[in-house]
Amino acid sequence: MAPILEVRSAVKRFGGVAAVNRVSLALEKGRIYGLIGPNGSGKTTLFNCITGVDHVDEGLILLNGLRVDRLKPHQIFHLGVGRTFQVIRVFPELTALENLLVVTTAGYAEARGRAEELLVRVKLERLAGEFAGNLSYGQQKLVEFIRVLMTDPELILLDEPAAGVNRTLLNDLLDAVRALRDQGKTVLLVEHDMKVVMGLCETVFVLDHGEKLAEGAPGVIQADERVIEAYFGR
Amino acid sequence: MRRTLPVALGFLAVALALYPLEATGYGLRVGLQLFMWIALAQSWNLISGLTGYVSFGHVVFFGTGAYTASLLVNAGMPWPLACLSGGAAGALLALIIGWPCLRLKGPYFAIAMLGLNEVMRVIVSYAEGLTGGGNGLSLPTLDASRSIYYAMGLVAAAVTAVTYAIVTSRFGLRLMTIREDEVAAEAMGIDTLRYKIYAFMLSAIGPGIVGGLSARDQGYIEPISVFPLIMTITMIVMALFGGKGTIWGPVLGAVVLFIFQEAVWARFVYLHQLLFGAIIVAVVLLMPRGILGVLQQKYNLPRTI
Repeated sequence: MAPILEVRSAVKRFGGVAAVNRVSLALEKGRIYGLIGPNGSGKTTLFNCITGVDHVDEGLILLNGLRVDRLKPHQIFHLGVGRTFQVIRVFPELTALENLLVVTTAGYAEARGRAEELLVRVKLERLAGEFAGNLSYGQQKLVEFIRVLMTDPELILLDEPAAGVNRTLLNDLLDAVRALRDQGKTVLLVEHDMKVVMGLCETVFVLDHGEKLAEGAPGVIQADERVIEAYFGR
Repeated sequence: MRRTLPVALGFLAVALALYPLEATGYGLRVGLQLFMWIALAQSWNLISGLTGYVSFGHVVFFGTGAYTASLLVNAGMPWPLACLSGGAAGALLALIIGWPCLRLKGPYFAIAMLGLNEVMRVIVSYAEGLTGGGNGLSLPTLDASRSIYYAMGLVAAAVTAVTYAIVTSRFGLRLMTIREDEVAAEAMGIDTLRYKIYAFMLSAIGPGIVGGLSARDQGYIEPISVFPLIMTITMIVMALFGGKGTIWGPVLGAVVLFIFQEAVWARFVYLHQLLFGAIIVAVVLLMPRGILGVLQQKYNLPRTI
């Protein structure tokens, strides 16, 4: 089957630094992928290139065979790519419900129905009318997560979903990610918590200094000499 | 509460509509200027209060409207139509300059707008063949103060009604996402540039029309009188004082500060600028959300208040 997302020899430079250097990867539909690597290895930059926040200097990014590396973020979003951010980016002075309503272009009644359903799913329905900025960190994280789901995207990019989230919430979140996979969605997540990555992902990509170091099943990656070296040094 | 506000507004509208029958010339002038300031502060609020893009040259639309309307009146167009054309000219200018300038973030947009107003003033000053340059333009004499009072009132009400419609719609919420977090708004599928341009154009119509009305009322305009930086500052302070990003804040700010200015100006000709400056500093330091902003936060009021 043709990959849903394909990154071909992507290069992104900031001044003299190649934050992403000739990275290639392909994601197949209906699977959960992990993107790991030490701080500064280029994970978020790669996310930004895929979602149009940054544009690659060289290489291609294809979504369902269509070039998207010159599109703007809002255009890529409407092609079915949703994302969350490493640092929470809810709209603080909009209510939790409004945070969801602004995203979709569907009719108001339909949007509202969908938003309420999603709020119930993460048990935030009682806080629907509260300003997002007044919610706890974990609750904001949930709002950001379900905001992505408002338009039913095909590909979901999660930047450190587990960071700063307590155990119970984390398990709910991981279950939700698996449920998405079971619905045929594709998920790519950046994560530092190795337990999460190993337990959730079917394929893991390892970045180091902007280059792809390894790719494979979690068990294989964990045993890879180069990966261990990149993380822990010699 | 749901009933009382519309009823109170209805009574207020009737009272304001009957006012010219009894008012003196001076009273009428004060009334129409108050309406003008409401329209200006509320228009500034549409772009800057909602999207957070602070326009430091919003008077450019006032001046553009004033010159457009005056030229059209002198060419024989009836003044109400000429003033509406002033609003259209404001929207057109907003489209032309918004396209490049609304890509600038934060302070750069504010400075670009500041520069734009100066540029327009200079262009109008030098285009003597059309605008009369520094000598200004005179309009045929006409006593229409009462009609202009009603027209100003209509514009103030219309801009406020548009603000209400926007703030209570998803269009308005999307404008607010730009203020809240533009990167996230883009990533969530909102074409932020397009939304900013729409808001900017809407925010330029009111000043364009009242610029025309003001020119018709004064009967004479010159570059310094219709492009003054102090006018931009005044509308910003009014909106900030009442509560930017709210529906009634700019109205409240315009009413309170305009009355204050009228009262103080008459008594302390030199001191009133100083007092105005002190208010700016006090608002920014002590109450950056303005009166309504503070009340909304404290009592968890809905956005429609």
